[in-house]
Amino acid sequence: MSEPAVGKAEGTLSFTDIEATICHIAHIIEEDKLYFVQMAGAPLFALLLAKRLRAPGVGYVVEEGAVAPNPIFPLPRMMLGASRSHYRAVAWTSMNMVDAHAALGFMDYGLLAALQIDQFGNFNSTFIGGTYDHPERRFGGPGGANEIASQCWRTLIMTKQQKRKFVHKLDFMSSPGYLDGTPGARERVGLPSGTGPYRVITEDAMFGFDDETRQMRLIGLAPWATLEGVLAEMEFEPLIADKLERMKAPSEEELNIIRAEIDPGGFSTSRGKWMTVDAATGLRAG
Amino acid sequence: MTVIASGKGEFLPPDPDGFRAYVRDHKERRLVNKVITAQEAVSRYVSDGDYVAYDQNIAVRGPASLFREIIRQRKRDLWLAAKFTWTDVSLLVAGGCVSRVDVGWMESGPVINRAVKEGRLKLIEWSNGALAYRLLAGSLGVPYLPMRYLGGTDTFEQSGAKLTEDPYTGRRVCLVPALYPDVALVHVHQCDVHGNARVFGAGVSPLEMAMCSKKVIISTEEIIEPEEIRRQPQRTTIPYYFVDAVVHAPFGSYPGSTPGLYGADLEHWLEFAAAQVQNKTDEYLEKWVHSMASHEEMLEKRVGEQKLAMMRQSETVREGYYE
Repeated sequence: MSEPAVGKAEGTLSFTDIEATICHIAHIIEEDKLYFVQMAGAPLFALLLAKRLRAPGVGYVVEEGAVAPNPIFPLPRMMLGASRSHYRAVAWTSMNMVDAHAALGFMDYGLLAALQIDQFGNFNSTFIGGTYDHPERRFGGPGGANEIASQCWRTLIMTKQQKRKFVHKLDFMSSPGYLDGTPGARERVGLPSGTGPYRVITEDAMFGFDDETRQMRLIGLAPWATLEGVLAEMEFEPLIADKLERMKAPSEEELNIIRAEIDPGGFSTSRGKWMTVDAATGLRAG
Repeated sequence: MTVIASGKGEFLPPDPDGFRAYVRDHKERRLVNKVITAQEAVSRYVSDGDYVAYDQNIAVRGPASLFREIIRQRKRDLWLAAKFTWTDVSLLVAGGCVSRVDVGWMESGPVINRAVKEGRLKLIEWSNGALAYRLLAGSLGVPYLPMRYLGGTDTFEQSGAKLTEDPYTGRRVCLVPALYPDVALVHVHQCDVHGNARVFGAGVSPLEMAMCSKKVIISTEEIIEPEEIRRQPQRTTIPYYFVDAVVHAPFGSYPGSTPGLYGADLEHWLEFAAAQVQNKTDEYLEKWVHSMASHEEMLEKRVGEQKLAMMRQSETVREGYYE
C-alpha cells in the first residue's frame, strides 16, 4: 500500500477532489447496466472502483474496442490499452465496433470528463481562452466524448466544482448536452432520440437536468459541502431540487483501493485540491 | 438530398474511383516478399505532403520506429489523422514533419500549443470515432457514410461533416466524408513476408486503415512463416494484398508497449515531457533520432539490453495474445 488513507489526526480521512468525485460516481454505478467509458483516467477509475467493491459484474466498453474486461489490479501506471486493463474481456474488437454498439442503443451510460460545462450539459474539451483560430490554451480534443455523449442513453459527466468549469458560455462546444435546451434540439441535428446528459458530478455536488427545460439542477451535496459554497463556484445559477440529497463521503476502503490498486502511486488522483474530513460525519476536520 | 448545414473544416476530398484506379495500377497482387528496411519503406512510401494515418499510439502498439524514421528523413508537410493518439503527434510536429492534423484526441502540450500559436500547424476538428468511421467508409469504397453524432456542436462546425435530411426516413443525419489516406502505418505482433499481418488484442482500426490507404507499411515484432498464417487463418488481421512493405521491428513501439510482449518505458516519456516543457525537443530528437542511423542502433546504444529485458519482464500477461 502506497500510503495510509487515514489522515494524521485520529478518525479523519484526507483525499483529493478527484478521489472524492471518483467515489461519488462509483456510488451510482449500476451493476445491471452497460457503460461506455472514455479512455483511461478518472472516469474509468470510478467504474473500476464500483466493479472492484460492489458491482463485479458491471459491463463496460472502452474506445479502443475491449468489451467487458476484468482488469488485473494493481493496474499499471500507463493503463491505456495495457494487457492488464484489457485482461479477460469477453471480446477484443475495434473502435468502429464499440461505437456501433452505442449507436444501436446497447450502452446505457456514457462516462466522461469535461473541461467546461454549461447549464444544458454541453461541454468543452478542445480549448480554453482566445478564439478557435488563436486559442490561449489548446487541449486534446473531444477524443471519444462526442460519440459517447451523443449515442449512449444517459451521459455521466465529471468535472471540478470551480467557477471556470460551470460557465455561461463555453469557449468551444466539443460534445453535445441538450444543446440550446429546446424540445427536440438533439434530434434536429441528427442525434439519436431520447439521449442526453443525466448527471454532472463534482467533488462537492451532484446535478441532474430538468425534464422540460433541460436546465441543470442541483440534486445532491457532499457531506462537507454547502449550497452557498457550491453556487459560489458556478458562473450560472442551476435549478435547485426541493430536497437535496446528502451524498456519502469516500470511505477508507475506497481510498485504499484507489491508491493501491487502481491508480498506484497516485499518478492521476493525488494531484488536485486536498481536503480532510471527519471519517464518521464527513464534515470538514481541522 | 437536402444539406441543412456544413462544417467549414478542410477535408481530404474522398475519391473512391481515384482510389480504385490507384489499386488497379499500383497494388501488388502476387504473393511476393515485401520485407524491406524502415529506411527503404519510409523513403519509398512516404512523400512530403502525404496524408498519414496510423493505428494506436506511442503508448500502445504504435508504429514508433516508423515515426522516428519519418523524422530522420525530414519528411515535410504531412497531414495526420490523430485519432486515439498521444505524444506521437507532438513528436512528429517537433520533428518539423506536420502541417495539418485531423484531431480526434492528442496530447497537447507546449509543442502543439507553440506550433498552433505560430501558425505552423493547422488543426481540423473531428473525434476519435469520426476518424475511425471515415476510415470505415474508405474501407467500403464509398464516398461518405451517415452517422448519429457530431451534429449540433462546434466540433461539427470545424469539421468537414454535413447535416442532411435522410432520403429514407426524412429524419436528420450527419454525413462524414470517407477517408482515403496516402499512407497507413500499422505496428503488429506477427506478419509473414507477404504482408499477412496479425494484431493481437483490441485494435482501434488497423484493418479499415490498411484497406483504404494507398500505401501500407506494416512494422512487425516478428516475421512468421506463411505456412503458420495458413494454419490459423482466423488470426489474420490484414491480408497481404493491402500491404506494400513489411518492416521487421522488434520493440517497434518503443517507448510504448506491445501488449503480450513488453511493457512501456515510463522514463522515456518523462524525458520527452521534460524536453517539451524546457523547449529542448531538438536535443531530444538529436539524441533519439538524428544521431542514430536506425531503430536497431537506437535500441542498442540508447536503450540498451538491460532496459529491454526490464520491459519484457514488466509484461506479465500473455494470455489472449499468444496463448
